[in-house]
Amino acid sequence: MLTRSPAARKVTAALRMLAALVLAGGIYTLISPSAQATAPLSAAAQEGKALYDTSCISCHGNNAQGVEGRGPSLLGVGSAAVEFQVETGRMPAARQEAQIERKQPLFDDAEARQLGAYIQELGGGPEIPFAGQTAPAGDIANGGKLFRVNCSSCHAFSGGGGALSSGKYAPTLELSTDRQLYAAMLTGPQNMPVFGDNQLTPEEKYDIISYVQNLKSDVDPGGWGLGRFGPVTEGLAIFLFGMVALAFAALWIAGKS
Amino acid sequence: MSEKSRFEYVREGAKTRDGVDIVYYEPNLPPGSKAERRMVRLVAFMLLLSGLAALIFVAAYIWWPFTDFPATDGWEYKPGNSFMKGYTPILGLSLGLALFLIGFAVLIWGKKLMPHEIALQDRHDGGSDPEERKLTGNTLAFIGEEFGLGRRPLLKVALLAPAAGLGAAALAVPVGMLIKDPHNPDELFRTGWSPEANGGKMVRMMREDMTPIRPEDVSIGGQITAFPMTADGLGATNKYADSPVLLIRLRPKDAEFLRSQLHHHPVNVGGMYGDLVAYSKICTHAGCPASLYEQQTNLLLCPCHQSQFKITENARPVFGPASRRLPMLPIELDGEGYLVARNDFNGVPVGPAFWEKPAA
Repeated sequence: MLTRSPAARKVTAALRMLAALVLAGGIYTLISPSAQATAPLSAAAQEGKALYDTSCISCHGNNAQGVEGRGPSLLGVGSAAVEFQVETGRMPAARQEAQIERKQPLFDDAEARQLGAYIQELGGGPEIPFAGQTAPAGDIANGGKLFRVNCSSCHAFSGGGGALSSGKYAPTLELSTDRQLYAAMLTGPQNMPVFGDNQLTPEEKYDIISYVQNLKSDVDPGGWGLGRFGPVTEGLAIFLFGMVALAFAALWIAGKS
Repeated sequence: MSEKSRFEYVREGAKTRDGVDIVYYEPNLPPGSKAERRMVRLVAFMLLLSGLAALIFVAAYIWWPFTDFPATDGWEYKPGNSFMKGYTPILGLSLGLALFLIGFAVLIWGKKLMPHEIALQDRHDGGSDPEERKLTGNTLAFIGEEFGLGRRPLLKVALLAPAAGLGAAALAVPVGMLIKDPHNPDELFRTGWSPEANGGKMVRMMREDMTPIRPEDVSIGGQITAFPMTADGLGATNKYADSPVLLIRLRPKDAEFLRSQLHHHPVNVGGMYGDLVAYSKICTHAGCPASLYEQQTNLLLCPCHQSQFKITENARPVFGPASRRLPMLPIELDGEGYLVARNDFNGVPVGPAFWEKPAA
């Protein structure tokens, strides 16, 4: 067996101690929360964090972890959900109620994207795959087919929206931009079902977006679309106007004879 | 009794008993004149046409092709014209024409063939005595004679045409409904999910573009409208219009809750696959697609009459006119990892109630 001098043993012990300290410190650096906080955020995300810390933090909490009874955690919701909620003015919400409605947005689109970048870098999640304001052009006919199968039951055949239970409703698509349509399908805001990429591929989502935008650019022959709500409004209209016309026709016949 | 004396009766009685003074009376067209004969022929022609149109309605109702899928249109709607698409228009046109013509004929009869008359009457109180009633009877008989059916036999015959035609048209719909037996074949109890539609094998679920569905294709809080992948390849067409289901992936804790509820409706036990559940899309009230899925409240809504079904309580109706649960399609995986229906809704018929439908 090799024997060592006391001096050599002291040096070995000191080296072991040093290695242990480095290991412990390294692990601590890796797993401690402060290490995450110092992980570099992109410039956009830093801007987003500044906005978040002034406007969102009271309900969604520090580092988007949520506040019990006020707002859910945003970890993992992704930038698509953030951009949709902020761009349509639904967030920041004034209060919780049956439905959080579209309103004048507090932030512009650039700020919404910065907020989205911040939440994305915090927890990941679904993102909108195209960078610009408009989605790649899709097949309108196929989009119409998919819209009728997946969307029309709530948003109506013309995208005008409709009633849900207990005061909730599916909103009109009249004001929706390409990015908002895509984000809504991808993330399923509020009571809307989620249409993930396995369900509707990005190309199919582009088809639907093209169809909806084409539908909105349609003119109403005759000038008045009656909300494009279909037989109920049309029936009411023909009842009111048609009955009045018939009454006058009856008066005219009576006057003639 | 001549016509003249009857008219005198009428004028006398009207004046002395009823206080009705016939101050002016003359035939519209000279009786037997050329003009009168022309009007009679016109009215008769319209009555005959009316009867013909009503017969066309009956014939179209019985023989016009309206269920000749797929010979004419295929099982899927296709743009363009076909005989099948003319079914409703031909019914509306023929019946409308029959009613319009008989109305027009009556108008011309009244305007051109009935005499001109101006009568003045004071109001009187109370009922009439027997003598007055005799006078009234004569008056009515006189009016009947005024139609001139005795002198105009052509009109008498012509009137039979719309009477027969419209009578048959009125009978066609109620009688027609008694003829077809819905239980032969027994299609009310069978959908495209029955293995019989797939050569005895369990039927795969597919999208409308005929691609089969894997469990991971449905996002959490997501839904897919699924059709039966039948052997004939027509699962997503009108041939299996009663078959679509809504395939939903519940959030894990909602799915857990539904699993704990299944035994309250024993036919559903074992019907879920993981967190996935499939319910018939056909509302049990009036057959609309009940496919408004609220992913936060776990409600399925029907847009037609606002029925609501609680997904996590075996699709129990919680609001609106529907009184039966949406049937659950029992699902599992086949050997290749695609979702299949184990059987045909466990034998529960889908859609609105009918007499023999078991309570559910």
